[in-house]
Amino acid sequence: MRIPFISLFVTSPFEGIQEHAEKIKECSGVFQQAMECIIEDRCEDFEHFRQDIDKLESEADAIKRRIRGHIPKGTLLMVDKFQLFRYLREQDKVLDAVEEALDWISFRSTPGIPEILEKDFMLMVDAVMDPIEELSKMVAEARKYFSNFSASQRNLVKDMIRTLRRHEHEIDKIEDTIKQKILNSSEDPVTVFHMVRLAEIIGSIADHAENAGDMMRAMVAR
Amino acid sequence: MNAEFYILILGYIFGFYMAWNIGANDVANSMASAVGAKAITIRQAIFIAGILNVVGATFIGAHVTNTIRKGIVSTDILTDPHLALIGALSALLAAALWVSFATWKSLPVSTTHSIVGAMIGFGIVAGGFSVINWGKLGAVVLSWVISPVFSMVIGFVIFKLIVKTIISKKDPYTSALKSSPFFIGLAFFVIILSFLFKTPLGKNLAIETPMALVIALILASVLGVSGMRVLRRFIKKRASGGEEDIFRRIQIGTSCYVALAQGANDVANAIGPLAVIYFLVKTGNIGAKVPVPVFLLLFGGVGIACGISMAGYRVMDTIGRKITTLTNTRGFSVDFAAATTVLIASKLGLPVSTTHAAVGGVLGVGLARGVEAVNFKIIFQIIIYWVLTVPAAALTSIVLFKILQLLI
Repeated sequence: MRIPFISLFVTSPFEGIQEHAEKIKECSGVFQQAMECIIEDRCEDFEHFRQDIDKLESEADAIKRRIRGHIPKGTLLMVDKFQLFRYLREQDKVLDAVEEALDWISFRSTPGIPEILEKDFMLMVDAVMDPIEELSKMVAEARKYFSNFSASQRNLVKDMIRTLRRHEHEIDKIEDTIKQKILNSSEDPVTVFHMVRLAEIIGSIADHAENAGDMMRAMVAR
Repeated sequence: MNAEFYILILGYIFGFYMAWNIGANDVANSMASAVGAKAITIRQAIFIAGILNVVGATFIGAHVTNTIRKGIVSTDILTDPHLALIGALSALLAAALWVSFATWKSLPVSTTHSIVGAMIGFGIVAGGFSVINWGKLGAVVLSWVISPVFSMVIGFVIFKLIVKTIISKKDPYTSALKSSPFFIGLAFFVIILSFLFKTPLGKNLAIETPMALVIALILASVLGVSGMRVLRRFIKKRASGGEEDIFRRIQIGTSCYVALAQGANDVANAIGPLAVIYFLVKTGNIGAKVPVPVFLLLFGGVGIACGISMAGYRVMDTIGRKITTLTNTRGFSVDFAAATTVLIASKLGLPVSTTHAAVGGVLGVGLARGVEAVNFKIIFQIIIYWVLTVPAAALTSIVLFKILQLLI
């Protein structure tokens, strides 16, 4: 039985967005393990981790499609529909960047990461965990704001967005250090290119998290 | 035993069937937001809705009903008692059948509009198009648009008020407690006014309008403040979500308010034509208005309650699972908007639909950004069925009239 009263209520897209953010968090754990594995040499499980990420990514993609597909025309949301979709796209790009980083490593996995960069990459990977974690927390807090509209809750969300920005800045600095070191080293050009590009990809994880934060800022605007 | 006696029995059966349909079709309107917001369980909802529909129908329901709802059809057609008898019977059955069909097909129709349509059908077949008061019909059509819009505005304002004064505050629990007399009082104010103006008991007291306003204001403030006392005693403060706890309790009250308003408003849809049959059989003639005996109202109320208890569980179950985004503050706003609209509109003599009032309330809260996602497209769906209901019920009524004319 379809009751007119019920057909008023559309499944909230925020539920899906939160689920999607949790998926990214799940991925980030696997990513960290995979990076540790590759840095520690003789990595046998790398391919296994990469497949795990692939699987999680396709699951997150399904969530994304579900959100987009379940907002019928004429639905009134708390926020602008296109803002919401752009937010979701940024959030999804975070995950894409994680996947891309592992793919990029796998294209040339044998020499692995040069010794001089091991520490820096370890540091960078650890640093990248922060914005990812912050992202899912931010979604939860934003939902709370949309339910009570309190000024203090709004400030909390805005603080988190600021934190995301700060994280991105820190990761940028690590990225620069890595590039500087490798470009001034005596490694072969292919390794140099491989590492520079890897640093850029890992850096882009934080970039997209920051962008997602900026989109969220637009959504919580009064 | 003469034929008229059988017609009366038939009238009772059809009237009960109509009342049953009203209960089955409209139960969602009064209890949906309370069940959705988990303020009450399904069992409690059915129990409360059943009891209060009976109470609302019996004590607040219109004790004098226009023989033809709202004077859309000229009473000239009632001069022939035999014709009027068949007409009332076919209108009742036609409306009930249409509502049944709508419930089965889950179309958002209004029981009020169905009976209006059925009466128009009877008017056309008995007296031709000239007996239809087109101006009146226009006013009715307008009220269909006004009732959801009015409900939407109330829902919007009430929710914005709650946001401003309670949930966006630093300590929402205390703010909620502080504002609770206002919200409780407001609900009681409308209930008391409708009681004073609409019921025979209220009319016997013969209180002037300004005096009634004063009485309602005083009683409402007393009840509002004592309501706060009760809330303070029973609801403990906790870290967060205390305001929702408070509104959970208030919402039990407001869903009662909707059920009461619904009983009062909708019982006439089933009992109006039955009262016509009853009086024709008892006295042989009929005027523009009929006094409705209390036992008929009770009969209608019980019919509605039966519909609620039999079809209610399935409806509530669906609602409880589907509507998860409605919190108590939102549910309260929806309930309050719907009940106030229905009571005020029926006071003004407009045939409003509780379904549309409830939908309007949700849309109002949605517009105030209270619900994460609301489907506005349903408004077009509703408009289509508004336009469809009247001719469909009218046509059924005409066909039934022709059939019954051959039989009786």
